[in-house]
Amino acid sequence: MRRVVPLLLVALVISCGDDPGPDTSATHPNVNCEGVTGECVLIAPSDTEALLDAVNLLADNTTLVLGLGAYALDNQVTIRNADGVTLIGQGIGETTLDFSGVTTQVNGVDVVGDRFLAEGFTILNATKDALRVEDSDTVTIRAVETTWSTGVDSGNGAYGIYPVKCENVLVEDSVASFASDAGLYVGQCIGAVVRNNHVHDNVAGLEIENTQFVDVYGNLAEDNTGGLVVFDLPGNPIPGRDVYVHDNMIRNNNTRNFAPGGTVAQIPPGTGSFAMASRRVIFENNTYENNATVDIAIVSGLIVASDPSDWGTPVSEMVGQWEDLGLVQEGETVFNYRSENVVVKNNSHTGGGTEANLGMLEPELGLLFLAVYNEETVDPIIYDAIGESAFSPTDPSMNSNDNHVCLGDNSGSFASLDLERLAARAESLEPNLIEALFRPDAPFAPFDCTTLDGGPIAPITIPQL
Amino acid sequence: MKRALLISLVAATMLSSCGEEPLFDLAPSVPVTGTPPMLLSEMNLVRWEGDGFVYNERVVPYALNTPLFSDYTRKDRAIYVPPGASARYDARDVFDFPVGSAIIKSFSFAEDLREPNLNRRVIETRVLIRTADGWRAWPYRWNDAQTDAELKPSGDVLTITFTDPRGAAQTSNYLVPQRNQCQSCHERKDDDDETFITPIGPRARDLHREFMYPDGAENQLTRLAREGLLTGAPADLSSITPAVDFASVEARGVAALSEDEAQRAARDYLDVNCAHCHNPAGVQGITSQLFLNWDNDDPFNLGICKRPGSAGAGTGGLDHDIVPGSPDESILLFRVQTTEVGAMMPLLGRSLTHDTGVALLRRWISEMPAETCE
Repeated sequence: MRRVVPLLLVALVISCGDDPGPDTSATHPNVNCEGVTGECVLIAPSDTEALLDAVNLLADNTTLVLGLGAYALDNQVTIRNADGVTLIGQGIGETTLDFSGVTTQVNGVDVVGDRFLAEGFTILNATKDALRVEDSDTVTIRAVETTWSTGVDSGNGAYGIYPVKCENVLVEDSVASFASDAGLYVGQCIGAVVRNNHVHDNVAGLEIENTQFVDVYGNLAEDNTGGLVVFDLPGNPIPGRDVYVHDNMIRNNNTRNFAPGGTVAQIPPGTGSFAMASRRVIFENNTYENNATVDIAIVSGLIVASDPSDWGTPVSEMVGQWEDLGLVQEGETVFNYRSENVVVKNNSHTGGGTEANLGMLEPELGLLFLAVYNEETVDPIIYDAIGESAFSPTDPSMNSNDNHVCLGDNSGSFASLDLERLAARAESLEPNLIEALFRPDAPFAPFDCTTLDGGPIAPITIPQL
Repeated sequence: MKRALLISLVAATMLSSCGEEPLFDLAPSVPVTGTPPMLLSEMNLVRWEGDGFVYNERVVPYALNTPLFSDYTRKDRAIYVPPGASARYDARDVFDFPVGSAIIKSFSFAEDLREPNLNRRVIETRVLIRTADGWRAWPYRWNDAQTDAELKPSGDVLTITFTDPRGAAQTSNYLVPQRNQCQSCHERKDDDDETFITPIGPRARDLHREFMYPDGAENQLTRLAREGLLTGAPADLSSITPAVDFASVEARGVAALSEDEAQRAARDYLDVNCAHCHNPAGVQGITSQLFLNWDNDDPFNLGICKRPGSAGAGTGGLDHDIVPGSPDESILLFRVQTTEVGAMMPLLGRSLTHDTGVALLRRWISEMPAETCE
């Protein structure tokens, strides 16, 4: 009896709408076909063949209702040839699509179709990506869990929730864990709202990649290698922009990097957030706690792919709105490696930076943090200053802000660094590398601006909202 | 036993050619809308006779010069074109088939591939049907008694054990694709960025070869034209450069090829095994920018010193798709060689390593003028 009271209290706290993470009251008792418009198919509990038959003979606007318990699959659930499909279960942990028995190279739920809705189920142990939705318009993912029972393991599937090359994406109240790349990824999309999700124990918890016009709020990112990250990849035709990251909790992202490869393998453990090769990004009102390396890093794409030519895309292949961004352009080729026009303000920072890279020898970037700060606490906000015309560790007036990086209205401390010079000094084993940093006091001039160039990020409108 | 079967087959052929006993009681019946029949036999296209397939009239069997490697399965292919219609020849792309056409591909395993005609079991027959709205793909799964195949939109996954051509025991995780998985290979994007389903094999360069029909050997294009299934083919076939006859590569061995033969065979192998995705109109190939179609001559898109887009675990720790002169530093070779789930290529249809294909690609890369990519 004495234990019940605190549990109830915990439940009350979690259900409070202001806390980051999923609304756990949104369970799905007895979802059925009642009131469903369009075709509706009830898939009996554990009847895997009925499920696969149904998805492979779909008509437009069909709802597939999954029963309680687990469906043991040996192949992916492939949704094609139909728009307006809903796949709905009885709730996270109540309905499970279990891909443990798969022997071939397939995903979990693999979807191409407009107006797709996934809701109320768990995807367990997918071989590759757990929920992949590609090339689709108006995609809703609500109260879906993707996870691997193997724990932190580089053999786990790559991505958990993975809408890619989509337009108008809503991901909410979902849980993504133990992905060996990104748990919750929204990539190469235009128009997305990502809110009230819980991502934990992934390499990258929540990742916004090469995506335009995104609202990211109310999420809880904890115990990942990197918590909530925004970046562009080289050579991708959609330059990311207008990414508003606010009111999230990003804590304890100190899990070792278990990625088998790819860009995320370079994320130092202990990373809260970073913006890389990104523009028109705002980090505001987020809470950062106990990220051992750094809370927010603003870095150029050149730190992961140093040859600028890798970042080029022919004008004729560019996708989305980009003409107004002032991207580097040479002739008919556009380059997206710069990080610029980034605002970081009103975030709270506690307990972080105490053990840079957690003492690991990989990845290199984390090792540099370790070398620079040694025993000292890492500044929670770091800027690599790549592309700045002027840099001085000692004279604030000798620092440029060509990239329009804004740190006004911040509580945490800040450092910018000349990565190249620092790396050279680190290699020659010079002591006191921290003196090579520029660490201004608030309001951090010349980075004391508080707004984006070109106007604020407009409210994100998608048809689902 | 073998001899008796052969005699009966010859007898059956003779009977049918006399017109006294047609091979099928009914003409082919291919529905061009909706879901096709539950049983393959209801379409009157093909029948399994225990040691080989028998086809209805206007269903013409064919083979490809370089076929896709599918874990050593044997694939028997045939084309049906409805009476009064014909496919239009295309010098480069897949022929344009009329509504009502069907392309039939049956997958079987011999117990021991050193005796490929003995103890065969038919696994599945895939039927591509040309409807008014384009091609539709349907998988049929053969029953245990091997008497008929049933429509199986949900596909199947099987463990198959057999002896490979070198006498080694092999176990394949064989995937009968779901209906919706057919698109992962049979899909392209048109100029308006809309996707459509397409056959892969029936192109001039793949079909230009002799085939042993029940009534004798003949060039396949000649045969299709003569039977009225194909119009527009050039009268003089010598203008067509066929893809390499891969069976002869298997028979001679990669080492016996001249450098030029190896180069051509490698490009044709990549074309058939990879370019269904890795081409500029391939839904998944576009992202990778790796284009392995035989007529791509852009070195970057061919993978020369090209860094992969987002290969993740698929790189094997390597940096470039192809490092000329250095096969073991080339991601391409790693991915066609490995059997690691998550890294191997092609994505579907292979769970074993194709030794001849790997040897060929290894030789091709090693004979490129060496470069150090940076």
